[in-house]
Amino acid sequence: MSASSIAHAIVDGILTGGVYALMAAGLTLIFGVMDIINIAQGALVVLGAYMSYVLSAHLGIDLFLGLIITIPAFFVLGVAIEWSFMRRLREQDRVAMSILVTYAVAIIIEGILSVIFGVNVLQLHASYVDSTFHLLGFYLPYIYVFGFVLALVLLAALYYVLYRTHFGRGVRGSLQNRTAAELIGVNVDRVRMVSVGIGVAVTAAGGMVFGATNAFTPSSGYDLISRLLSIVILAGLGSIGGALVAALFMVTLEDVVAVVWSPVWATLVYYASLIVVLSFRPNGLFGTAAVRAQ
Amino acid sequence: MTTSEPASGNGNGGAAPGELLLKVEGVTAGYGGGDILKGVSFTVARNEIMCIVGPNGSGKSTLLSTISGILRPRTGEIAFLGDSLVGLAPRQILGKGVVLVPQAHSLFAEMTVRENVEMGAYTVRDPALVRRRRDEIEEMFPLVRERAADKAGSLSGGQQRLVELARSLMLDPSLIVLDEPSIGLDPPTRRTVFQMVRLMNEQGRTILLVEQNARAGLKLSTRGLVLENGRVRLTGTGREILEHPEIGSLYLGGAVSSTPAG
Repeated sequence: MSASSIAHAIVDGILTGGVYALMAAGLTLIFGVMDIINIAQGALVVLGAYMSYVLSAHLGIDLFLGLIITIPAFFVLGVAIEWSFMRRLREQDRVAMSILVTYAVAIIIEGILSVIFGVNVLQLHASYVDSTFHLLGFYLPYIYVFGFVLALVLLAALYYVLYRTHFGRGVRGSLQNRTAAELIGVNVDRVRMVSVGIGVAVTAAGGMVFGATNAFTPSSGYDLISRLLSIVILAGLGSIGGALVAALFMVTLEDVVAVVWSPVWATLVYYASLIVVLSFRPNGLFGTAAVRAQ
Repeated sequence: MTTSEPASGNGNGGAAPGELLLKVEGVTAGYGGGDILKGVSFTVARNEIMCIVGPNGSGKSTLLSTISGILRPRTGEIAFLGDSLVGLAPRQILGKGVVLVPQAHSLFAEMTVRENVEMGAYTVRDPALVRRRRDEIEEMFPLVRERAADKAGSLSGGQQRLVELARSLMLDPSLIVLDEPSIGLDPPTRRTVFQMVRLMNEQGRTILLVEQNARAGLKLSTRGLVLENGRVRLTGTGREILEHPEIGSLYLGGAVSSTPAG
């Protein structure tokens, strides 16, 4: 272990953490407006990776350019999932039932991907995925930096929509007090549908970067969902800014522990830190569950 | 759908005081299997303050929910300025100029006081109009200006109630429906809230309120209605109801002449 390897672990953690935040943003947004824990988020990330794979490997479309197609397609997919699965859940037992229903969505996605692509391991390729640059004495693939920048741009766009637009006011109103939002004229059903669409749309970008930085199979979503859930729980369900902080913390901590101590302990230390945080702040670092409960 | 902006001005929409504003005719409504409202009929004229009183479970809040579109009546008709409200979504009813201020906790606790007030004009797409109305309301409610940047959740219960009242004016409504405006407030704060309700009425708004504190509510009102077991037991001026011997002893702890108002 050396100072430079720790520095490398931190840089790596920050770059990867941004992408995890992007993948978790949809999860936390959907929970915020719908009270739905979208277990299918991991499967959707993997679906995003496969869509990018099809566009790049079969149609020769650049991975980033392909997002012009996959992001709108995922928006439509999100709207369809909300319409066909989520809005049918009763308010009273929505959280519990959502876990079962979205788990079913995950199985459906995994099944379809397995039938079409088989279970072989894939990874996305492009010149910037396979080439590296020099930083702090280490060689990092360009995709890590590009992915991080993309994550920041999309998270900033999401933040802008939520905090600077008329629609965003409706989303935040529905999130904090849905009855009051309805009474002042917010079309809560529409806001929810569009929010899920946006949440799933940004997942397409997360999926592309995930597929470019990790090998994946149709069942890779299950490992991913536990990590994404732990990020949004640490952040506080419903907090997008918190998801960025929590993701950077989680991945950086894991990377540093892996270098300083052992990779075996990396995940364990992260989950232990999650338990410690939750014992002092049961709603997570930035959670507002008490407010939402009104 | 985006609701249209209600008539601007003082909420009168050019109509004369005393004109029939709201007509509720034979309304039956309830949750689940049973009916809570069993054929309720009454009218509200423009510029009135109409107070609905009655024991717990008599259907007061259900009636307001039905008028505001949260609950759909099973039978009967609700008309506002001659247009039926039955089957309309809350935001469509809002667009007609009927605003409901629910019982409690209707602010967005994580938003600032100013954002909360501006949210009252969510359906208005003209920023200049929103700003103008906000300025007028800040004149009327100095608290809104003084605490503009504070989170609404940090205000006391009484202050939150005032912000809720202020927000209800952002659409310049003709009819403001208040569900228990004084609930949980100490007497001085309750007086302030009632003063604001009276001021809103003097500025041309018609008020329909449900009030647990029947005596204070009826004293504030031009007309009252006693709801009992989902049916209208009595209507009359606030004074008539307060002085009605049977109603007084049943719901008000004695008629007004024998007990000072609270």
